[in-house]
Amino acid sequence: MADATLQQGAGAPGAPHPAGPPLLKVEGLEVAYGEVQVLWDVDLEVYDRQVAALVGSNGAGKSTALKTIAGALKPKGGRIVFDGADVAGQAAADAVRRGIVLVPEGRQLFAGMTVHENLMMGAYARRDGLRAIREDLDWVYSLFPELTKKRGQLAGTMSGGEQQMCAIGRGLMGRPRLLLLDELSLGLAPVIVDRLVEIVTRIHRERDLAILLVEQDLNVALAMAERGYVLETGRLVKAGTADELLADESIRTAYLGI
Amino acid sequence: MSQIVVNGLLTGGLYALVAVGFSLVWGVMNVVNIAHAAYIMLGAYVSYWLYQLYGWDPFLSIPAAMAVLFVFGYLVASLVLNRVIRYGLVMTLVLTFGIDLILQNAALMLWSADYRSVTPAYAGQGLALGGVMVPYVRLAVFVLAIVFVILFSLFLSRTRMGNAIQATALNPAAAELTGVRIERIYALTYAIGAALAAAAGSMISVVYTIQPQVGNVFLTRAFVITVLGGLGSIPGALLGGVLLGLAESFATVTVGIGWSEAVSFSLLVIILIVRPQGLLGRRFFGGVG
Repeated sequence: MADATLQQGAGAPGAPHPAGPPLLKVEGLEVAYGEVQVLWDVDLEVYDRQVAALVGSNGAGKSTALKTIAGALKPKGGRIVFDGADVAGQAAADAVRRGIVLVPEGRQLFAGMTVHENLMMGAYARRDGLRAIREDLDWVYSLFPELTKKRGQLAGTMSGGEQQMCAIGRGLMGRPRLLLLDELSLGLAPVIVDRLVEIVTRIHRERDLAILLVEQDLNVALAMAERGYVLETGRLVKAGTADELLADESIRTAYLGI
Repeated sequence: MSQIVVNGLLTGGLYALVAVGFSLVWGVMNVVNIAHAAYIMLGAYVSYWLYQLYGWDPFLSIPAAMAVLFVFGYLVASLVLNRVIRYGLVMTLVLTFGIDLILQNAALMLWSADYRSVTPAYAGQGLALGGVMVPYVRLAVFVLAIVFVILFSLFLSRTRMGNAIQATALNPAAAELTGVRIERIYALTYAIGAALAAAAGSMISVVYTIQPQVGNVFLTRAFVITVLGGLGSIPGALLGGVLLGLAESFATVTVGIGWSEAVSFSLLVIILIVRPQGLLGRRFFGGVG
């Protein structure tokens, strides 16, 4: 069923699928924490330069899916094909080197290190030289001018919004080909969320990368994404373009309360 | 009076070097590394044998002792400790205690319990400064110890590897997401800890007499200093080392030399009651540097 919707979404206006194979293709993904299985048979695709969203209510398994793609969790079954190679079960440190970078839920900054040190840690695994890293650093600071002012401050002493900016910046410093954003808006004021949405759109416009984001807030997610996948208690129940999902009666009642 | 202060300072510098590697391993890996005592002892014996067999000056053999113990520490961490580390503090405590026992008993079998010392020609000489006697060897040990601690601090704050160690200490899961291979960082951290212990051991071989259990008294000092200065804090190790050196120096004169251990642990108890995070404890738990 999900496949049919996928095909349907492919030709939708405003979200053209680029030619060629997807950058990320997840097939039949199953993930369990010990005996407790949380994901069943999840299929999804993200194309080059595409922004896709994984939405669903609390506990649906969105973060689990993202962590598994990033190598922080080992799947029980299924395939994760990134850029033509099956990367299911690889270590997180290897995923980063392939270009899959996760900005984790709850920021997870190095609280006792400065903003600048946090950003530079993002570039830890890079091998393309200090010059390219410097350029990206300047770019990150231009995206988040508030970080420039606080570059020498300990990351743990900043506000939640600033910490989220630093976390996104740290992720960008890894020069991802696929950026995974987990619950960007969690616990932040609406005005900050608006600003982050704008920044993500700008990142997508200025850099050659694909983004897969996880959000509980459907409005926030579909403001950024061209495609959406809806998870419900560990299973994919819908997939389609942002417009299709917003027009869907059952989704409107379940997630938007209208 | 000034002689007491000078003695205390000189000893304190060495104590700081003894403590800094121990504090690092504890702060980064959450491992109370009892084997630190054995690494101090092995460092001392490397210097002793290089002096006895080949006539190497003990100060020149410091890099050799550090290199040997760095490799040894790296192997211990990557082959043994990394397999156990996820089971927590108590398991690693037992493990490092076992490693310590094995190494100390091996040393006992190989080299006997004889007291030995490294006595280069300049060993007895010193500097008299207005009634205060400053032995050259102890002055050199003090200066070198401080230099090592400062270099190590710069390594942690200024280098990519040092930053990775700090990041791992603060948040290992997030460090992994930036591409840090945690097990390698643990092995590296442990190896650096062992190498710093070895440097301290080499210096101890010139200042004190050594035998296979020589590390134990210094381990208890390292423990006190780490708690006193703050877990994982390098300035804390320096301050804690000097404070402990001074306290023991005063205790030796006022209540007798047999009381120095009692003074150490009284300090430990007091600091745990008054300021449990240590004098220069870091603001964020797990921070090192």
